Parts: sequence; C-alpha cells; structure tokens
Amino acid sequence: MTIPAPLDEVLGELPLVAARLTAPRRVRVDARPENLPALLELLKGRLGFFHLSAISCVDWLEEGQFELVYHVWSDKLKLLLSAHVRIPREPGEYVSIYDLHEPAGFFERDIHEMFGVVFDGALSLDRFILTSWDGPPPMRKDFDARKYAEETFSTVNYHPDWLKDIEAAGGGLEE
Amino acid sequence: MTDKPLKANERPPAGAEEAAGPAARDAAGPGQACPAPSPQERGVWRKIMDRFADHCRARSLFVLHYCTGCGAIELPPTITSRFDMERVGITPMVTPRQADILLITGYLSIKTLKRVILSYEQMPAPKYVLGFGSCTINGGMYWNSYATVKRLDQYIPTDLFIAGCMPRPEAVQQVLLQLIEDIDSGRANAWRDYYRNYDFYLGNQQALFGPKWNTPTDVIGEAEHYGLAGEGTYGPHTKLLAESGGTPMELARAERPARAITGRRKP
Repeated sequence: MTIPAPLDEVLGELPLVAARLTAPRRVRVDARPENLPALLELLKGRLGFFHLSAISCVDWLEEGQFELVYHVWSDKLKLLLSAHVRIPREPGEYVSIYDLHEPAGFFERDIHEMFGVVFDGALSLDRFILTSWDGPPPMRKDFDARKYAEETFSTVNYHPDWLKDIEAAGGGLEE
Repeated sequence: MTDKPLKANERPPAGAEEAAGPAARDAAGPGQACPAPSPQERGVWRKIMDRFADHCRARSLFVLHYCTGCGAIELPPTITSRFDMERVGITPMVTPRQADILLITGYLSIKTLKRVILSYEQMPAPKYVLGFGSCTINGGMYWNSYATVKRLDQYIPTDLFIAGCMPRPEAVQQVLLQLIEDIDSGRANAWRDYYRNYDFYLGNQQALFGPKWNTPTDVIGEAEHYGLAGEGTYGPHTKLLAESGGTPMELARAERPARAITGRRKP
C-alpha cells in the first residue's frame, strides 16, 4: 500500500516534513506553514483536489502551537488528503486560503471565533455562532469552561431522601 | 454577558429538589410563588366563571411546534398513532400566537433561549411551559458547557418538568395529563409569575444577553392589563428597558449596518 504515483510526484516538488498513507484512500501530509498554500494550489491544479471539506484546529497547549488540518478531496484520485501544519500559538496568525478554496471563508471564521486564530486575508472574521459572546475563545485549552459555567449559570442542588439512603449504604452520585 | 446586574441564583430555588419524578412539580411552585387570585379579589360569579373556563381550557390545548435540542424525536410517537395525544385534546400548533403549551424539548443554548423567550412572550395568556429532559432542570449532560443554559425556570416560569435523558413518550404523556389536571383545578399558574416577577426574569435574561436586551412584546403593559403588575414587576432591570433603545432586531441592524467584508476579495 503506497501513495499513488502522481500524488507522490507532486508531493516531491515541495520540501514537506512527511507524507504517508493512513488508509487505502487517505493520505496524511505534514507540511511547513510556508509551504501549505503552494501545496494546496499544486494539488488543486494538477490532481483535481477541488473540494475542501473542512479545516480543523487543534490546540497544543504544552507545545505552544495550533495545529491546522486542511482536508481536501480529489475526484480524480478518489482520495482524501489531510494537510497538517503547526503554527505558533502566540500570536496565532496564519494566511487565509480563501482565494484558493471559497469554503475556507466559513471554516476560517469559525476557527477564528473558537480558537482566536487570525487569518490574513480571510473573507470575514466577524462573530459567527456565538453572537453574544465577548469572553476568550472558548475552544482554547486554557479556557476553563467549568469555572465559566459555574460563574454564569446557577444550578439546582438536588439531594433527595432516597439518595441519602443509597449513600448511607456506600453508593451515591459523588465522585 | 457584558454586564451581570443580577447573580442568577439570587432567588432561592423553592421546592426545586422535587424536580425528580417523571412529572415533578415546578420550582416556581404553582400556588406558592404565584398563587391564584384570592377569593377576596374575585367575586363569586367570577370564581364560578374561572372554574368553568379552566375546565374547558384543559380539554383543548395546542402545543407550539417548536423544538429545541434532541428531545423532539420523542414527540412524533407522542402525537401520532402510537400514543396519540389528540385523544385528550392536545395537538401541535404552528404559531406561538395560537399556542397554549411551550414544550422545551432539551438543551437550550444561549442563542436558542433568546428565540424561546421571543416565542413565549408572543403566546397569549394563559400559557404553560413544560421543561422536557434533564437539560432544562440542571443542564443535564451539558452541565459544564459555556454555551448552554442550565436552568430554564430562571428565564421563563415553568409549570412542570420531566426528568430523564431522554424521557420516553409515556413520561411526556404523563406530564401532559398532569398539566390537564393542574389546569382543570386552577393550579397551573406559572405564567402569572412572569408578570408578577418580571424584573427577576428580565434580570437573568440581561445577565446573559447584555443590558441592551429588549423584546418586541410590552410585558409590563400586559401585566397591567391583566391586573398582575406588582412590586416584582418593576425594578432596576425594567428601568434598563427604556434605555435599551429598541427591540433585538432593531439593535442588531444598528450594530451591523452593512455586512462588513474584510480582506481581499476573490480575484
């Protein structure tokens, strides 16, 4: 099981970190941040990777990095390629690929809202889903969702009698 | 979320611990926090008419066809031939202006809660709110989520809760039958609490949506019309309404006059 020859040829033109086949129709490519737009453009132009199905973001707090994953599908090769790049967590800036793949406008706005990554040249970085939100980006690992929920919302203290009986016998809901 | 004029749990959750059984009584406590009109307020003839109206009302109820979260999947079997709630006079209705029951089927994100409040205020009184599933009681599996409201009864008065994740159609059926019984006996009065303690509910809403929160419905005017305006109707939060400068739709338009497109366009 190897990477199809035409794809291998295109990937060889750029100084990439690594490329491997993870499943019969899935390829994982680790790219350098400066090479990613060129890689996507090459793939689109030569091998028919027209469909950007998602951009996902992972927050690596200990390593101080954001990992962006661009998933592109080729109708020609019938293959899904996931291009991974790591960018520094501070200041968390990267270049937009909106001019290459239009759906990126949607994904980049979403990632900007949830992780605070700023995409240079993005279609729009307005507030998107969290319309009333003015706190820190909530999907960052250093955002304490539990603490925020406890400060913002109230809860009912639920402790009925039948539970007390169970607790007396050594069971219960407590951790 | 900019301003927090009121800590959401300022009012003690009276009787909320009972919210356990399949058809548990509400935290707001019909007959406690929002009692029915006392005999001194109503004459004998009016009392008889009230009882007669309640009796008729309980036999024909429209459920607003508005579903939040995942609980809506339990409603088709409840409404259609398997359990068939139309047997007892309950059927879906497409608009809030003709609906009697607002069934909150599951978790409420902050955005959804806005729409729920807008729908609730459009419904004509008397109106009844049923909280469906654990999410409306205490957040359920979203207990530590930043975007999900934990207690429905802090924002709109709730008549009955159904515990469970998910409650089966039998539980929905049971709570609807309980509601019919409550209406018939004049105990389902949670809607009065929205008018009597509007300042409390509005304060909690403003704590989430910001001090500019306002709705197109004139709740205070309605409270005065129904004769339910009291001390709890007015307060520091209702004062903000006059300063908010418009309904949410007007404010949204003012905030974003045109759709700003930043950065380069497609070549």
